[in-house]
Amino acid sequence: MRNIGELCLLMALVCSGYGAFTGIASRVWVHPWMKRAGFLCGIMAVACLSGAIVILGRALLIRDFDYEYVANYSSTLLSWQYALSALWVGQAGSLLLWAWLLSLVTLLFRILPTRDKLLRDAAFGILLANVLFLISILIFAADPFKPTLGTPKEGLGLSPLLQHPSMLIHPPVTFLAYALWSVPFALAMGGLIHKRLDPVTPNPGSTSMLPMAAATGNMSEPQGEPGWGGGGTATWTEIARPWAIAAWAVLGSGLLLGADWAYEVLGWGGYWGWDPVENGSFLPWLTGTALIHALMAWRHRQCLKKTAVALAILTCALCNFATFLTRSGIFSSVHAFSTSPIGWMFLGFMAVLLLGGLTLIVRRREALRPERVARNLLAREHLVLLSTILILAFALVILAGTLVNPLSPLVLGRSIVVGAALYTNVFIPVGLALLAVTAIVPLTRWGGPPLPRQRRVLWISLGTGCAVATAGFLLTQQHAIASGVTGLLTLVGFSTVAALILDARRREPDCLRRGILKALYHGRRQYAGYVIHLGLAFLAIGIAGSALGTRRSDVVMSRGEVISWAGRQIRLVSLEQHLLPDKAIAEAVLEVTQGRGTPAIVRPARHLHRLQNEWTTAVAIHSTWSGDFYTILNGRLGGGKVDLTLVENPMMRWIWLGGACAVLGAVIGIWPGETRRSAAGLLADEECDASALDLRGDRQRHAA
Amino acid sequence: MGMRTKLLLCGVVIATTIAYAVYLGASSSWQYYLQVDECLGQADLFRGKRLRLSGRVAAGSLKASPEHREANFVLEGNEHKLPVWYRGSIPDNLAEGRDVVVEGALAGDGHFQCETLITRCASKYAPKDASNAAEQAKESGTLE
Repeated sequence: MRNIGELCLLMALVCSGYGAFTGIASRVWVHPWMKRAGFLCGIMAVACLSGAIVILGRALLIRDFDYEYVANYSSTLLSWQYALSALWVGQAGSLLLWAWLLSLVTLLFRILPTRDKLLRDAAFGILLANVLFLISILIFAADPFKPTLGTPKEGLGLSPLLQHPSMLIHPPVTFLAYALWSVPFALAMGGLIHKRLDPVTPNPGSTSMLPMAAATGNMSEPQGEPGWGGGGTATWTEIARPWAIAAWAVLGSGLLLGADWAYEVLGWGGYWGWDPVENGSFLPWLTGTALIHALMAWRHRQCLKKTAVALAILTCALCNFATFLTRSGIFSSVHAFSTSPIGWMFLGFMAVLLLGGLTLIVRRREALRPERVARNLLAREHLVLLSTILILAFALVILAGTLVNPLSPLVLGRSIVVGAALYTNVFIPVGLALLAVTAIVPLTRWGGPPLPRQRRVLWISLGTGCAVATAGFLLTQQHAIASGVTGLLTLVGFSTVAALILDARRREPDCLRRGILKALYHGRRQYAGYVIHLGLAFLAIGIAGSALGTRRSDVVMSRGEVISWAGRQIRLVSLEQHLLPDKAIAEAVLEVTQGRGTPAIVRPARHLHRLQNEWTTAVAIHSTWSGDFYTILNGRLGGGKVDLTLVENPMMRWIWLGGACAVLGAVIGIWPGETRRSAAGLLADEECDASALDLRGDRQRHAA
Repeated sequence: MGMRTKLLLCGVVIATTIAYAVYLGASSSWQYYLQVDECLGQADLFRGKRLRLSGRVAAGSLKASPEHREANFVLEGNEHKLPVWYRGSIPDNLAEGRDVVVEGALAGDGHFQCETLITRCASKYAPKDASNAAEQAKESGTLE
């Protein structure tokens, strides 16, 4: 079986290599049948990688310790879910999973209907080149099918810390996001290489952009269907948009799942520690956020083109950088990383991506000039630019803070680390400013200042927000930041609802309800964006609440004792012990009553993992909308006494709610359906908001 | 004022604010990150400064209070040994022979007052090499 696995990898290597070649060279001298063979090779590569995954997965499930990988990360004591999850716990397995996911994404991208086949083929080739890179690492540096020296009877098992439901899905979700970010990158590069940076004209014959395609007999394939140009935007941005949003949502979910794991498993009461690994995957999420907005600016106003292209390249490069961080061994943080050459390969790959991208951007700078420049600071494209600057500055701080540790010995001769204070200090002003931009954006428009109507409502919303913030500050006498966040959140809600009503009125002046339905239906993309913004507002509630209002204390309790803490009555009911095949569990049973509510039971525990002979703490959380009651069992003192740490984390649930809301918004935003409209339809449906309002404003001005 | 100037002004305001926040955050939170040997080699230089040290818990030196709130142990490098006093919740996998990272300061009498204690866990991306793994498995009696 192992040999078949190796063979699968080799075949995948060859197939993806050929597919990459035909895709990238498709414009130069590739015959149509060679291209077709390239497509088949792409399918073959997926099939081979699937075969390799199945073989390794089977070995993990039947605990075939002939495989070094299985012996290192699995044991007979694990349940089948965790045995299978070992697939993405180790170096080789996780790379194999990444390569497989990327190949699936590549194939999906290739078979979905497209409006620009030349661009699609080029991007397909670039994606396969990325797959090729991952497979060559698997073959030459991290072989998942390596045999063990002498088959052991038992494996080393899975680290107890990783045996948590969040860890079952967090790594594959993150790798899927990395794979998805490759698509906008490939499209941007394809667009740059083939100069597909302008709208595709309906009639391919008349354009001078495709001489080679015509020469190689591609005339039978329509290069751009009539009506696909969509309001003057470049095709690549339109194709990249759903992929970028999907990648954004998936990476965001990955980050939140990781945060949930840290919150429930690491047991220190928090969920985000600004660890190098967390920072690594947070960076592409930040630049990806900026990318999605830059794509919108390109689509609506033909500006921020260089920014959009650069961000697409940077985001994909940062995914590789994150991999470099986790696997290079340059950090000696909480995670003791292996020292392997693999990390450096990813760094090299990242350098190639960045240099190649930069060269192409410089060479295509003429085509990337903005076509229209707004003359008002409150035009949406300037708000996008402003938030991009904020996001990039924050990303730069995170990058610098992360790299201080490995780089300081080279500069200062001594190793230095910076603490979380650096990141939080920057996060607070940047986060507040971004929230403020998010809050006013529904009441602005592309290309010019808000219309008189919008401006009026904007002033009212700002007034309401300020009033709420001031009232909050005066009434509670608490943090200025908390009051600021409250005011901004009011502003977000108020301005979104007001914008919806304005839009509805415009569409149906007589019936508000029908107008709202029409606005939501026809402006689906835009309102999906506002749903995502609302999700981020919920996230802000959770982050601010849990950061500013957290309390903790250490208590010793004996059986039957009742204490009151943070508005709760807590009674230690009993101490229990359970024996499971792989671990022994000692747990304290606590009854928590808040106000007059029904009592809830929480069971903080300590687990002794037999194979590793290691204790882990299993925290117990009682979660409500006002906050989490988080309990840690530190130890049993004998005589029925236990030592506990109690933590109160207000508003924690809002973090998870915000994540869910953002994902929902993303799904609504990329749901297919509306895209099969004509260019005129697109314009009418989504861009007219501003222009129609604009017309109305003009008319008003005229009348005046 | 032209659009370019306005945007530039916004950029300058943002950059200044962030630079100031970075300065405040970095100056209050930076610390040296040293090996035990490196630190004790020039102990006078680092006394009273905020430090993060990495080393190994010496065999036979770990004493933890019964309620898991205090621990004393000796942090050893290749040449030097440093007594560490720690107050706080003890990590589950703190054990003799394990690599740990301690944060705190060197006290006048030569011990290290530790505020934060991090045990280095074998990470998910740290495959031990085969011989090492086999040895470990032998030690724990799982390899026959």
